[in-house]
Amino acid sequence: MNILIVEDHKNLAIEVMDYLSKSGYVCKLVGNCEAAREEISVTDFDAILLDLSLPDGSGFDVLQYIRKIKSISAVIILTARGELDDRIKGLELGADDYLTKPFALTELGARLYAIIRRMKGFTLNELDIHGFSLQMQDYKVSYDSIAVKLTKKEFDIFRYLVLNKNRVITRLQLTEHIWGDILEVNSDSNFIDVHVRNLRKKLDKHTSLDWFETVRNVGYRINL
Amino acid sequence: MKIKLQLAIFNALSRSLVILVLWLMLPVLVEKVVYKHINQSLLEKKQKFIEHLDKDEIKDFMVRNDSTETYASFSTLHSEFLQLSRLPVNSKANKTIFLTEARIIEEEENDFRILQYQFKYDQTPYQLEIGSSLSEIKELTFIIRFFILIVLTIILILTFLIDTVYIEYLLQPFNKIIDTKIRRINEPDTFDYTPIKSNSADFKELDVALNQMMSRISTLFKKERQFIGNVSHELLTPVAILKNKFENLLQNESLNESAVDKVANSLKTLDMLKKVINNLLLISRIENHQYEANEAIHLSELLENLITELEDRIEEKELIVTLNLNPEFTFIGNKTLIHILLYNLMVNAIKYNKIKGGITIKDGYKEDQYYLSISDSGIGMDESKLSHIFNRFIRINNDQEGQGLGLSIADSIAHFHHIQILVNSISNEGTTFELVFPIAVKS
Repeated sequence: MNILIVEDHKNLAIEVMDYLSKSGYVCKLVGNCEAAREEISVTDFDAILLDLSLPDGSGFDVLQYIRKIKSISAVIILTARGELDDRIKGLELGADDYLTKPFALTELGARLYAIIRRMKGFTLNELDIHGFSLQMQDYKVSYDSIAVKLTKKEFDIFRYLVLNKNRVITRLQLTEHIWGDILEVNSDSNFIDVHVRNLRKKLDKHTSLDWFETVRNVGYRINL
Repeated sequence: MKIKLQLAIFNALSRSLVILVLWLMLPVLVEKVVYKHINQSLLEKKQKFIEHLDKDEIKDFMVRNDSTETYASFSTLHSEFLQLSRLPVNSKANKTIFLTEARIIEEEENDFRILQYQFKYDQTPYQLEIGSSLSEIKELTFIIRFFILIVLTIILILTFLIDTVYIEYLLQPFNKIIDTKIRRINEPDTFDYTPIKSNSADFKELDVALNQMMSRISTLFKKERQFIGNVSHELLTPVAILKNKFENLLQNESLNESAVDKVANSLKTLDMLKKVINNLLLISRIENHQYEANEAIHLSELLENLITELEDRIEEKELIVTLNLNPEFTFIGNKTLIHILLYNLMVNAIKYNKIKGGITIKDGYKEDQYYLSISDSGIGMDESKLSHIFNRFIRINNDQEGQGLGLSIADSIAHFHHIQILVNSISNEGTTFELVFPIAVKS
């Protein structure tokens, strides 16, 4: 999943980015409103972390812009302690959640997972797919209490396809959301097929995979 | 040559020309003055002689010197002489002329200034000659010339030194303008508009003109940046919207297979378009110095992360990567850009490699300059291709995908960081890219 961090305090931003990268998110960092708007209009982010005080304007402007272009990204605003009005205004303008600074990174992670799963129509962090149980947060998949060993990339792909259940996800979408912004034009996405093939092999040992579709020339779909 | 020196030398040359002319004219001038003075005194002597002249006296002269009809007398040191002689009868009288001639007096030859006066006394024509020696004058002229030569040489040297110092002082604002306003400026934003103090109107004018030029450039720069920003907005936003629409279209169950193919291909084209625009934007942003270069970058750490990032593609081609770097080296630059630079070089090394080939990354020092080289065992290229691999939209190999912007970006980034990229390639054996880093300026 890819995340845009809009935060002008570079140290904090890098700290957040390091933490989220380890949790399997692809992060992009910007420090002002202009760059944020630019990124948002070009890339679909799964979630956006938005600081309200930015050098060239207010985070509220960015938030309004996000909702104006009908972006479906989850937005978490970061506010200073005690600014109740800001938090309320943020939620009214379309933010999904808020965090007051300073915040614990683990809390940020937990809220992110919660918002994303809710957005995708799941109520628990433990996703249940045709007998497989996928722990959204800690890279664990099991079938009938038997652990299925997946690599990090295989897990990321599996999780992304499950979260976007019943939708065809193109290879390009997978690269964008799991590998991040590859600048290289026409990069061959064969390596994605390799990962998916391995993933399917591992899952296939437990049950039949007729719900895990390969859409020829396009991508993949998990039906629930 | 510096203008300071040029001006001083020119001044010295013109001055020495004047001195040379003076020095050459000196004998003529001295001669003129001295001759005038001598002539005057000779005339006075003649006057005296004529006034005191009477018959007896002439007779006296002649009697004493009958044989030659000439009377001569000279001073003991032969510096003056007087000579009276009788002339043929028909000679003209009352004529005075001056001449310079060598005369021998008692076997000693000397130059003399001589007054010749022809006159009649008692119907007999006579010629009177009064001479004054020039040898002393000549000696004096020589001494004066020598003395003047020394004085003028001293003056010449002194004025040369004074010139140099003064011109240096005059040119100080000029050097300052060059130093603070031209040499150190890479970006209009960092330009210092404070006027440079100067007493010369010309430099003030130059300073004002430079400031005006810079403010014009600065406006253009701002406009260009705005334009780039607009392009990214106006071009990339519709691309993103189309992409979303196509992705949603794919979810439509009623689409037949060929329609799905077409949508998928359109998505690929859109993705390509987006990346080309992004790449061109990146190049123009680098070339407009819109990035800061102030982060400490550990190259070995960065490359280790890169290899992890590219693991999939390395494994896909079963490549063996050898990373052998000195972990100490850090470089001050822009981390994002250096990451892109190394990423592009690594991707090239993977893309154009053979199955089960290798990539070797090593570093070292060449004449104090740190270098990092990435070599692959790939298809390589011949020299004709090598010369324009950094041009935009050139592909190394026509069979391969890609729009040939990777190396162009690498080149822009390297240029931005004053890194030199050297390429070495042998067809079918491999290519080596070598990054030569500038000698670190510790700040």
